[in-house]
Amino acid sequence: MAQKLPKTPASNSSLQQHQAETEAVFRSIADGVIATDEFGKITRMNPVALKILGFKEDEVIGQWFPQKIVAFNNDHKQLSLIDRPMARAYLTGQPVQEKICYRRADGKIIPVQVSVSPILLNGKPLGAIEIFRDITLEEEVDRMKSEFISLASHQLRTPLSSVKTYSHMLIDGYMGELTAAQRESLQTIISATDRMNELISTLLNITRIESGAVQVSPRILDSHKVASDIMEELALQANNKNITVSLKSIGNGNPRIKTDRLILKEVLTNLLSNAIKYTPDDGKVSIIIEARSKDMQFTVSDTGWGIPEYVQDQIFSKFFRAHNIAHRETNGTGLGLYLVKGLLEEIGGKIWFTSDEHKGTSFHFTIPRSR
Amino acid sequence: MSEDHASLYQKVVRITNVYLGPAADRFVTRQVQNHLHKPAEELSVGDLEKLIDWIRVAVSMLTEDTEIIEEYTTQLRRLIKVADKHSS
Repeated sequence: MAQKLPKTPASNSSLQQHQAETEAVFRSIADGVIATDEFGKITRMNPVALKILGFKEDEVIGQWFPQKIVAFNNDHKQLSLIDRPMARAYLTGQPVQEKICYRRADGKIIPVQVSVSPILLNGKPLGAIEIFRDITLEEEVDRMKSEFISLASHQLRTPLSSVKTYSHMLIDGYMGELTAAQRESLQTIISATDRMNELISTLLNITRIESGAVQVSPRILDSHKVASDIMEELALQANNKNITVSLKSIGNGNPRIKTDRLILKEVLTNLLSNAIKYTPDDGKVSIIIEARSKDMQFTVSDTGWGIPEYVQDQIFSKFFRAHNIAHRETNGTGLGLYLVKGLLEEIGGKIWFTSDEHKGTSFHFTIPRSR
Repeated sequence: MSEDHASLYQKVVRITNVYLGPAADRFVTRQVQNHLHKPAEELSVGDLEKLIDWIRVAVSMLTEDTEIIEEYTTQLRRLIKVADKHSS
């Protein structure tokens, strides 16, 4: 059995040493730290927290945390007490991580990333500890990046429209008859402008997703008809590689679903276009739509090159392209699946896939019926 | 589930109702489920001490009035004393 240490000057000094070390650690943390007691009163704030919020230590210690440090959501509306991360950590007993805004001592509202955990001693909650950092700069960089992409995309579209219109006028003979070689060159210009337009649309959509500006307009639609229309649009791409594309609807649920038509179309177009693009000549691509009671499941399968196992966890990352297809198909941007996943999340959908390298890939996604 | 357990939960809700109004039922249910990991109706006297600890910190985020918090938790603690009296 362990013996209790006698209270000697030596043990006191080691306790003091331990306390000094703990204090030094607390003061050295590079993020802001606020500790509260069981009554929500601030017991400690490290120098970084004081600096971020612009307070002096004696202004905050002993003060009721929700009143002293007022929290807002991203739209700068004051958070109700029960919606504050610390209250939610207490209500659930779990750590809470969230982006919110705090009002500084000078009244300025700043965005912060907070992480709150209840402090437990032998299972008894003694208070909470909150770690936070000022993300003003990160938010500003994100906003500028989105603005730049949006502006650049709009500015690129205008000249492209002129290029496409005049190319069509030339090909239609408005400026005189053309030779076969001239017509062929113009076709190449037109398909290049189409590709550029697609890329700009993708960039614009990604900007909308990342800035939370996606407009979702659900309405009842026939999923089979949507898929069939997309097949028609991509028929030329499939025919050029002699790829057979099939469409089948199964399941006992209603084949009609209330969802956003443009989002479903964008998702299916991306997946079908990828399937055709990454399948060798004479291959097969299929779309199966399963109508179920709570959702609708779409499966786009191909007999393509497949996704190597070691890169499968990166497939929905922005700008990611697997090496086995990057050298075969140089037109991809690595944005399609990132966009697809983001769009599906906007309508409450989920996406996953199964793939065997050299055999093919199946992408499955679901769209819920009630949103 | 016995009637005693159900009535203990109801007593906790009744006391909480004085302080949290219509949110009382939902508040207590969530506290029991999240911290005691059981259905609210199965709340027993043995759970009360832990439940009161969590209620105390949760309510501390809703009011800075420590007297109210003490009064509320004292009311809840009386339920433990009443149960102890009955069992002895």
